[in-house]
Amino acid sequence: MKRTPARGGHGRLAAVYLAPGMLGFLIFIVLPLVASLVISLFDWPLFGTPKFVGLDNYVRLLTGDPVFWTVLGNTLFFAVCYTVFNLVAALAVATWLHNLGSWGPFFRVLFFIPVVTPMVANALVWRLMLTDDGVINSFLANLGIQGPSWLSDSHLAMGSLIAMSVWQGIGYNIIVLGAGLNGISPNLLEAARLDGAGAWQRFFRVVLPMLSPSLFFCTVMTIIGSFKVFTQPYLLTLGGPGDSTNTIVLYLYRNGFSFDKLGYASALAWALFVIVMLITALQFSQQKRLVNYDN
Amino acid sequence: MSINRVTGRLLTAAAVAALAAGTLSACGSSTGSSSGGGKEASSMYTWITNENDRAQWQAFVDAAKKKDPAFNLTLEGPSFNDYWTKVKTRLSSSGAPCIITTQAARAQELKDLTVPLDDMVKSNSIDVSMYNKAMIDGLTVDGTLRGIPYDAEPVVLYYNKDLLAAAGVKEPTTKYTTSQFAGDLKALTKDGVMGLAVPPGFGSGPGLPLAFANGNEPVKDGKLDLTNQGLVNDQQFAFDLVAKEKVANAPQASDGTDVPEQQFMSGKAAMIIDGPWMYDTLTTKTQGKVGIAVVPSTSGESIGMIQGSAFAIAASCKDKDAAFKNIMKITTPEVIGAVGAARGTVPSVESAVKDWAGTKPAADVAVVQALLKSGRPLVTTPSWNQVETNFTQYSGEGFRGSKTAQELLSTIMNSAK
Repeated sequence: MKRTPARGGHGRLAAVYLAPGMLGFLIFIVLPLVASLVISLFDWPLFGTPKFVGLDNYVRLLTGDPVFWTVLGNTLFFAVCYTVFNLVAALAVATWLHNLGSWGPFFRVLFFIPVVTPMVANALVWRLMLTDDGVINSFLANLGIQGPSWLSDSHLAMGSLIAMSVWQGIGYNIIVLGAGLNGISPNLLEAARLDGAGAWQRFFRVVLPMLSPSLFFCTVMTIIGSFKVFTQPYLLTLGGPGDSTNTIVLYLYRNGFSFDKLGYASALAWALFVIVMLITALQFSQQKRLVNYDN
Repeated sequence: MSINRVTGRLLTAAAVAALAAGTLSACGSSTGSSSGGGKEASSMYTWITNENDRAQWQAFVDAAKKKDPAFNLTLEGPSFNDYWTKVKTRLSSSGAPCIITTQAARAQELKDLTVPLDDMVKSNSIDVSMYNKAMIDGLTVDGTLRGIPYDAEPVVLYYNKDLLAAAGVKEPTTKYTTSQFAGDLKALTKDGVMGLAVPPGFGSGPGLPLAFANGNEPVKDGKLDLTNQGLVNDQQFAFDLVAKEKVANAPQASDGTDVPEQQFMSGKAAMIIDGPWMYDTLTTKTQGKVGIAVVPSTSGESIGMIQGSAFAIAASCKDKDAAFKNIMKITTPEVIGAVGAARGTVPSVESAVKDWAGTKPAADVAVVQALLKSGRPLVTTPSWNQVETNFTQYSGEGFRGSKTAQELLSTIMNSAK
């Protein structure tokens, strides 16, 4: 095939312009990925001599480390609860704000503030509120109620982290779902109303299907984010009491940077990567069935 | 192809390459580091949790300057809690400081980061015997010395004299039994005041100092020995004080040592087990007069758990001799004594203890001196950070009575092997 000079010239120029980005991608994304895969095959202290152990780290992870299954269970529990509570609450609030009129933007900003506030600051404030003699228990004490140990009771600690996380993350989904609601044609809702559909029928039969692309996006992003939960347990509970709030990323961080087990931490990272990939692939496989792209 | 187009492409490629190279070199270089090792030899990586820490390190510099006005030491580092994690990554990066702080309790853990000092000690004719023997023992790894200690601090029991007087409790001294201790704590726990303030950590007590007082240690022959019956019993005693006797609030895993210290200083707790490094803070900021006693033991004769810190040389240092000479300038008896007098750290050199004693009450000085004589270093293993981290995470279940000391210490020992 004959190539035009202009096309070839543009191709080379494009390659030159793309080179810095590709170089950065190779150095900061691909290389660390490959490196972590290689490191996961070693017993690799940060200082000292690495020792090749093959798949031992993975074998230990799956068969010899009960903490891994605990942190995996905790992470899955967190992901499910956080995603469900976040999406249901975000959808309810977004719908409320959509119908609120001129006060809508004000409350939207209010709900979005925790998203842009540093997670560390939020976590520290929540820690102060949730301690045994914190604001919440002091309030309960004024009502004559003995408040529980929100962060030290293994039955309540994870719930406290989920509540804090929903408060922190709900604003993002409110904005996305709000934009989705704005995109629904009023004509459709009006037509449904003329056909005799009540408010709930209009919501479930018109609004939800039309909102499904936004909901799908929010679900995928929220689940991926929830699997990476780290700051909340790190600052509020240190993974305790026991291992009740220990998550995969916290366990990974500890193994890599506190316990000097870089090989095992890398194996954990790959386990997390595979789990998130599988769940995301499952979601995308259901996309055509669950998401309505017909405008 | 025209010359202009060639030139244009070359310029574009050169600009892109320069940009990439500039970005990479900017990322790779450290701020202001020199390549010869000279600057790094007078730089120290240490914990700087707050202004109090910074003032302490500055006190070393100021005292050393009296003998050598040209002496200087640049400082960098995170908080104490973050230090043990971050020091490993900091020293693996370029331009890392040559001098680092270590502890007898962490010498094993940091052994790959530090170099043996024996040859430099010998060639500089340093008399190591002047330093506290327990600290030197603790800083010796595989037969080699890994740091020059500046303090030797036996953990003590602080008590609020006013609260003890109000409860009719006799002040403890250099002899104190655990049965007296438990009884006193019960008597002190009333009217919103708890007998004891407790942190969630292992080394920060109260379980481990109580075990040391009874002669039980967490490491035997270089290996973790967390499940020896003496240590388990002492840790269970500490758990029971909180879970069964209710003489202290159960700590939360995320509590730093500052949380129980605040309880003590505000008068909400009558006693606390802590290091002498807190002496100035606790005696000046507590509501009420403060005294110190030995950590109680079954017999009343207490063995001190000696914690202390030292200056070491990073294995990555290019000019180790220069770094060692700087360390020697801040570890002379004069400097250590001056810092002890100014900042309250108990000197690692016996002849300088008088500087630290200064105007302190004789009873308090007697307690520290007694513990220094009987004291044993807290020697640990390379996996000690894992022990500490896991204990802090798990101890809540012990302090709330849902797990026994035997269960928790077995779990921790198995995971940290």
